[in-house]
Amino acid sequence: MNAIAFADVSRRYGDVLAVDGLDLTVEAGRTVALLGPNGAGKSTSINMLLGLLRPTRGRIEVFGHSPDEAVARGEVGAMLQSGELIPELTVRELVAFVRRLYPSPLGLDEVLEMADLTGLAGRRAAKLSGGQTQRVRFALAIAGAPRLLVLDEPTAAMDVESRLRFWEAMRSYAEGGRTVLFATHYLQEADENSDRVIVVAGGRVVADGTAAEIKAGAGGHTVRFTLGGQAAAGLEALPGVSAVEISAGTATLRTADPDATVAALYRGTTLEVRDLRIDGADLEDAFLSLVQESR
Amino acid sequence: MTDYIRIELLRMLRNKRYVIFVVAFPVAFYLVFSGIYGGEVAAGGLSGKAYFMVSMSAYGALAASLMSTAVPWAQERGSGWLRQLQITPLSGWKIITTKLVASMLLVLPAILLVCAAAVLVQGVSLPPGRWLGLLAAMWLGVAPFAALGLTIGSLLPPDTAQPVSMIGMFGLALLGGLWIPLEVMPEGMRSVARVLPSAEYAGMGRGIVAGDGLPAGDALAVVVWAAVLGVIAILAYRRATARA
Repeated sequence: MNAIAFADVSRRYGDVLAVDGLDLTVEAGRTVALLGPNGAGKSTSINMLLGLLRPTRGRIEVFGHSPDEAVARGEVGAMLQSGELIPELTVRELVAFVRRLYPSPLGLDEVLEMADLTGLAGRRAAKLSGGQTQRVRFALAIAGAPRLLVLDEPTAAMDVESRLRFWEAMRSYAEGGRTVLFATHYLQEADENSDRVIVVAGGRVVADGTAAEIKAGAGGHTVRFTLGGQAAAGLEALPGVSAVEISAGTATLRTADPDATVAALYRGTTLEVRDLRIDGADLEDAFLSLVQESR
Repeated sequence: MTDYIRIELLRMLRNKRYVIFVVAFPVAFYLVFSGIYGGEVAAGGLSGKAYFMVSMSAYGALAASLMSTAVPWAQERGSGWLRQLQITPLSGWKIITTKLVASMLLVLPAILLVCAAAVLVQGVSLPPGRWLGLLAAMWLGVAPFAALGLTIGSLLPPDTAQPVSMIGMFGLALLGGLWIPLEVMPEGMRSVARVLPSAEYAGMGRGIVAGDGLPAGDALAVVVWAAVLGVIAILAYRRATARA
């Protein structure tokens, strides 16, 4: 069963096409990262998924229902990019109120514990720090025990320590078959906390798979060496090579098979190869090349 | 929904501005005015202390209904709290119904405390039937102002909703004859006062206190105002919460 299905979904703001024919499905029980630069259409997609925005075209389903129905049935919880709390109410009052709006919520103490708020339960929202407020917003998102948890750049206002604790909390919520979709523009977060990464740029899906697959798909490795004044002709014909770049006397070859490329470089050419280096592409390279290709 | 009403009441009772403007001011003003004019006889044969009891509970209720709706509601729309509620199973009509009910409940402290001050400090006494009639009329008659406050909160951002609701509150109180009795107003002001719901709202209370029963004209006017402003409030709410 799919938790999320977007079928040819577009959203236009005036002249700007923020989401452009998005097609994607997410199986129930997965933790999926929506990775993309600012302006890629992540928040627009999430707001449409939650029924806060209507698509200009296309259809969205959440557990087989429209977003509005899924929200009304209490199947969705979300942490939006920004949002203040009611300053006069305490953490416990806020969480208790929101959890009781759902048909079968988590226990109040359980939610406070998961969001690391037990010690702050009696504090009024007006007196919370930025990071503490984020934790309360996370608590409000999970309080109703929704089958789908949606997080829109949840760690944007957090320090490193809080981030680690946050992702731990997210993982423990996801255990037991719940579906999580989170948007981020941090590659490392996507890599470490999801079992599938959907890369979006310009309102479209440009890559979709595990972090490892995305790295491999984007040219894999680079082979670099000092070329000096020698002619570069023929490098692009070497086995495995998908792109050649020469700058300041250094040749950079992007290759899917570095062993074959290097073997051919020594045996098949007459070039004098110095300072040879082979690097595995990291997710950052993969991401940048994907985002650039889509432009 | 009772949970939602409960937290709405809780947050306003913890809000210092609400408590000062809405609970402390009307009682303090009542004590001052009735201390000065309490012994005089106002138009319609009411004693000054009973006349100002109606005026100040009307003012307190008017202030409470506007202050508990316009600015908090505008803030919730702007701060993201409304969106937080929209992604829970809470439905849109429950949100506005709760706002209205909570606002109507939040006028009760002002009405009850002014009446209590009138009884305890100024020795105002009425037959039980008139007390019940007065409290019911002052309570239910506040509906047009709650609707007005929700409309302001739906249409304006918080920084404009604040002055607009203040002007609305003082304008309705002053021109409606809650501060200066209608009878001593210049004719020009009095003609404005006659078309404002605040004058008719207080008029209901005065008629009941004087023993003339509920004045039909005033009551009808308040009902019509409530219906008109209620429809406008619903339209404004739908516009403010429309999913684009």
